[in-house]
Amino acid sequence: MHFLSDTVVLSRMQFALTAIFHMIWPVLTTGLGIYLVLVEALWLKTRNPDYYYQARFWSKLYLLNFGIGVASGIPMEFQFGTNWAPFSEAVGNFFGSIIGFEASWSFMLEAAFLGIMVFGWERVNPTIHIVATILVAFGANLSTFWILTANSWMQTPAGGQFNDGIFVVNDYFQAIFNPFMAVSVAHMFLATLETSLFVIGGISAWYIINQRHPAFFSKAFKVALATAIAVAPLQIYVGHLSGEQVYHRQPTKMAAMEALWETQPAGAPADWSLVALPNTQAEKNDWEIKVPNALGLILEFKLNLSESVQGLKEYAPSDRPGMVGLIYYSFRTMIAIGFFLAGLMLLTTLQWLRGKLSPETIASQRWLLRGWIFSAPLGYIAVESGWIVRCVGRQPWVVYGQIRTADAVSNLPPGNVLTTLIGFATTYTVLFIGALYFGSRIIRRGPRLDLPIPGIEDKPAVNTEPGKFTPDERPVEAQQ
Amino acid sequence: MDTLTYFLPQVWFGILALFLFLYVMLDGFDLGVGILSLTSSSEERRGILMTSLSNVWDANETWLVLMGGSLFGAFPLAYGTILSALYIPIFIMLFGIIFRAVAFEFREQSNRKFFWNTAFGAGSFVVATGQGLALGGVLAGIPVDSAGHFTGSTWGWLNLPSVLVTLTLIQGYVLIGSTYLVWKTEGELQQTHYRTAKLAAITTLTGAILITIATPIFYEYARTRLFQAPQVYIFAAIPVLGILLITLLLRSLNRKEERWPFILTILLFLLTFVGLALVVFPYIIPTKITIYQAAADPSALVFMLIFVGGLIPVMLFYNLYQYIVFRGKVTSGPYGGE
Repeated sequence: MHFLSDTVVLSRMQFALTAIFHMIWPVLTTGLGIYLVLVEALWLKTRNPDYYYQARFWSKLYLLNFGIGVASGIPMEFQFGTNWAPFSEAVGNFFGSIIGFEASWSFMLEAAFLGIMVFGWERVNPTIHIVATILVAFGANLSTFWILTANSWMQTPAGGQFNDGIFVVNDYFQAIFNPFMAVSVAHMFLATLETSLFVIGGISAWYIINQRHPAFFSKAFKVALATAIAVAPLQIYVGHLSGEQVYHRQPTKMAAMEALWETQPAGAPADWSLVALPNTQAEKNDWEIKVPNALGLILEFKLNLSESVQGLKEYAPSDRPGMVGLIYYSFRTMIAIGFFLAGLMLLTTLQWLRGKLSPETIASQRWLLRGWIFSAPLGYIAVESGWIVRCVGRQPWVVYGQIRTADAVSNLPPGNVLTTLIGFATTYTVLFIGALYFGSRIIRRGPRLDLPIPGIEDKPAVNTEPGKFTPDERPVEAQQ
Repeated sequence: MDTLTYFLPQVWFGILALFLFLYVMLDGFDLGVGILSLTSSSEERRGILMTSLSNVWDANETWLVLMGGSLFGAFPLAYGTILSALYIPIFIMLFGIIFRAVAFEFREQSNRKFFWNTAFGAGSFVVATGQGLALGGVLAGIPVDSAGHFTGSTWGWLNLPSVLVTLTLIQGYVLIGSTYLVWKTEGELQQTHYRTAKLAAITTLTGAILITIATPIFYEYARTRLFQAPQVYIFAAIPVLGILLITLLLRSLNRKEERWPFILTILLFLLTFVGLALVVFPYIIPTKITIYQAAADPSALVFMLIFVGGLIPVMLFYNLYQYIVFRGKVTSGPYGGE
């Protein structure tokens, strides 16, 4: 267990653990935020109370996710300083600014308007309320933009140069719009949305199967399905673009994703590995199944490779990622889920077109609905797998080609890091179980369809006159 | 040396001080209410305490995130050195934040509220402790080499003054939490917090006096800076103003005023802040690293000044707006309880 005395390994484990755990929560809030805007707009347009109750119901899950997202996000930010001080010093000029932008442009916006979105139904008028919801969703998605900008810059640093180990920016535009940025932001944006849609669809399917509020939840199901029709195929395409970028710009990651040890020359077809058992020691795959001539078709829809795909053996073991198997299988997991979700969406759309999803018949589509329930967690697994490919595949670099991870770590006693690592493992286990337990509790309780609808009753929905506020008029959601 | 290399770091020192002040003020009452919840006599009262924070705690905590991000961007060297030197206090704070933040929703959904009540109250206490130790650690000075990298020991931040700072900070949070509750609640609950506010005012004052005496005794840099004209006049004014404010505060509590105690406490915090900033400036790590040495590249400071600095009025505006939306007394039990 010599790694227990290695600060680099322990700090990496801690960052990986906290990042993997943190990622779970904002995935749902960013995607669900858009859905909440959608149903609230539908409510204002149609005045159908069902949409209002949709907004009320799903925002409870939003709040639960948001709390854990905050709790697990703050340690991420501070770890750059505590565990990665040399990294902070080297990239602060750009990376630090972007973290500051994320806080001021996005997180503050989301946090400040969340209160109005969840607790303010009776306190502001519907127009202001939907503006608050839009700002919450906008803030959350703007976070995706900044965080992916920062991470993309670590993948393809641009816009300046390293002077004595400190990155100095010449051109902020180039640094922000670095080569990976646009596609990575799009890929992550679609990932959060797709995951959220299948969570909403899966939970709705559960209600429909159990005959609880079937009409209400088939509405949610259809809004999710209709959005997924656009999102799921687009995500496969954007994912392809992302892979193409790795092919052109990060040869070591590309080789690890495909477990390719030997260089595949340009101008000729190459085999694509479907399943393999990579052996890092022997620098070969102990066993594998290949699809002949498929690699070029997958990478660029051409039989012959336009440029060579470098094998891992082109690089010294210290210059390429070590965990080839993890990267290889994470990549395949992500792709399999992407295609599975798109397939499920297609099948469901087909049944919809055949009129099988009407309120009377939807419950008879048991296998389809079970498929959606099964799919609810799949988006998360795909997102986590994608991040593993992205960040483990970037190794041994923290900033690709520029700063090695091993040189970026703070000089800390390993015991300190081990202690906090154990602390995070324990805490996050408690939080994860808590979130599943309380989340399923919210779901089992179901929506409350007897809440007063703002702007409908006789009494004014908005109590904005100063001095006239009486305690009895606390919003109904705050009364027990 | 051109003015840019001096002026920009000074501006950013000011902005960071503003973020830190807003954080200590806003999350200060938040944490103070959390600590006070440990003494709540009933579940209903605890519910009201948490309701009074439900819509503001996340935005309040965001000032910390914002301060962290801005410190990272504006003074990258200090960000790495300070946080790695204060590894233990920072993680004490982070674990406190985690438990406290999830307690809001978990408590709401839970039948057995005891565990999450404790997570909220004790979590708040732990956050305050971590912050106090971190602040004490910075004031004690962080040993660094010529490149500004941390060279000290794991427990270097632990000493008598930092314990004193921690205890006083906790008292200060309890004070601002109490005056916030005086403002936001009524009846029995309000009466209770008139009492806790008075008690906390006295303990905070005691702590402040001890720190004022201890700082020049323990830290040579503070001694030389404090007793030097013209600073000595400003520093002499601070304790005088402090005692004046405490007197006004106690009088206002005795008169059962509702808003003034909170406002006076904020002024008291502000005064402490000015004093602290004057002792520290122009260092970011006292006597070791100045803000000029730690500052990011001028282009980065300008870039951030436009896009973060320019947004400050907007952020202040919408934060204020949501306080206006949720104005009035909090009387009901558990918040958000559908």
